[in-house]
Amino acid sequence: MLTTRHWNALIVLTLIFGTVYIALTRAAPAVLPPSPVIEEPTSNLPAGEPAPEAGHPAPDFTLEALDGGDISLSALRGQVVLVNMWATWCPPCRSEMPALQSTYNRYHERGFTVVAVNQQEDAATVAAYFQENGLTFPAVLDRTASTAASYQVRVLPSSFFVDKHGTVRVVYRGPLPQGILDGTVEELLKE
Amino acid sequence: MYPLIELGPLRLATGGLLLLLAAFLFSWLLGRAARHLGGDTLAEHADAALLPAIVGAALGGRLWYGLVHFDAFSASLSMFAALRLSDMAWPGAMLGGALLGGLWALRHEAPLARLADAAALALPLPQALASVGMLLSGEAFGRTTSLPWGLPLLGTIRHPTQLYYALAAALSAFVLYRMSRSPLEPGMLAAVGLATQGLAMLLVEPLRANPALFPNGIHVGQVFGLALILAGLFWARQHAARRPIVAPVLE
Repeated sequence: MLTTRHWNALIVLTLIFGTVYIALTRAAPAVLPPSPVIEEPTSNLPAGEPAPEAGHPAPDFTLEALDGGDISLSALRGQVVLVNMWATWCPPCRSEMPALQSTYNRYHERGFTVVAVNQQEDAATVAAYFQENGLTFPAVLDRTASTAASYQVRVLPSSFFVDKHGTVRVVYRGPLPQGILDGTVEELLKE
Repeated sequence: MYPLIELGPLRLATGGLLLLLAAFLFSWLLGRAARHLGGDTLAEHADAALLPAIVGAALGGRLWYGLVHFDAFSASLSMFAALRLSDMAWPGAMLGGALLGGLWALRHEAPLARLADAAALALPLPQALASVGMLLSGEAFGRTTSLPWGLPLLGTIRHPTQLYYALAAALSAFVLYRMSRSPLEPGMLAAVGLATQGLAMLLVEPLRANPALFPNGIHVGQVFGLALILAGLFWARQHAARRPIVAPVLE
């Protein structure tokens, strides 16, 4: 049976070792990528063939926007575009939305835009989500998931950075860290 | 990652569904644990304390989640009240449930320590179920790893942090059930339950890819975990000096 003194010693030791362990395992800034990785072409596909891979022309699409009009990727040529595949039911997608909005606000005037390609949800659901969360970048409805198929989307969210010439430059799967998002856009806008 | 189950026209979110099942499992196990530890009287108290505890867990879980993701929630405060089961955080749920459940017990002069023991005994298995739900919905995912038990998630191989939590909960359940077969001072199971919960958070949180952090990189979950361990030790110290007075009621 432990005495009160033993318990006190155990508590103090736990506090000391716990604090040291927390300090040793804290998230150091060094674990975050210091700058975005702009991928070089890696595909075996013939150059110039549209593909959702770095170095290839981004597969074009024309989808219905939330405001009722249509948005074509090809019509955005000349801008840096982030094509983001997402859905409101996807927690990691929701978690990156504030970062997308923040980057959009910061770089929109310099020629950057986001096209949030929603996966098979109805316009009312998406519009309500955008309104609730104060999101102002363009969103389109991929009702049949045909665009997701042409981008070979296997996980949500998936993000494709498209440069001013319509070429896919970076493919990122999973929620985008703000640093990678801002850094990639910054690099592509400089070109 | 299987965030949705499609049943005809119905699309059910797996994370929320398993969380709901976990809540039902908890309510059932709580009654059994209370009866085991204190007979019908304690089981009645547990039944009555369940509703305030669940309400407290829901409020606390959402509040904590909203504060951690305040950048998103501050844009629309109505998100704090949104009917979305997945937007919950475990530390807040635990605090909220303990607070309202404890207040109910004090107000009704119910045996708080024995109720806490029953809750500690009932909690780990539902928690393991909820952790599996998090894995299916892709929440609380781990950092990338090359370890052989890494799981493919979100485009890469990651630590299955949700399964680590499930495993920790299963181990905690095993330890607590074994302990519950011996004569113990009321409150000791709760103390051990707190400590095991805290230890799991202390060890697993650094492996998460998107943890809540303080500005200096310290994991919020780890600090909470250490606080739980210390709370468990303090509670154990308070109760350990006393002689066992209650023999277990084995079924």
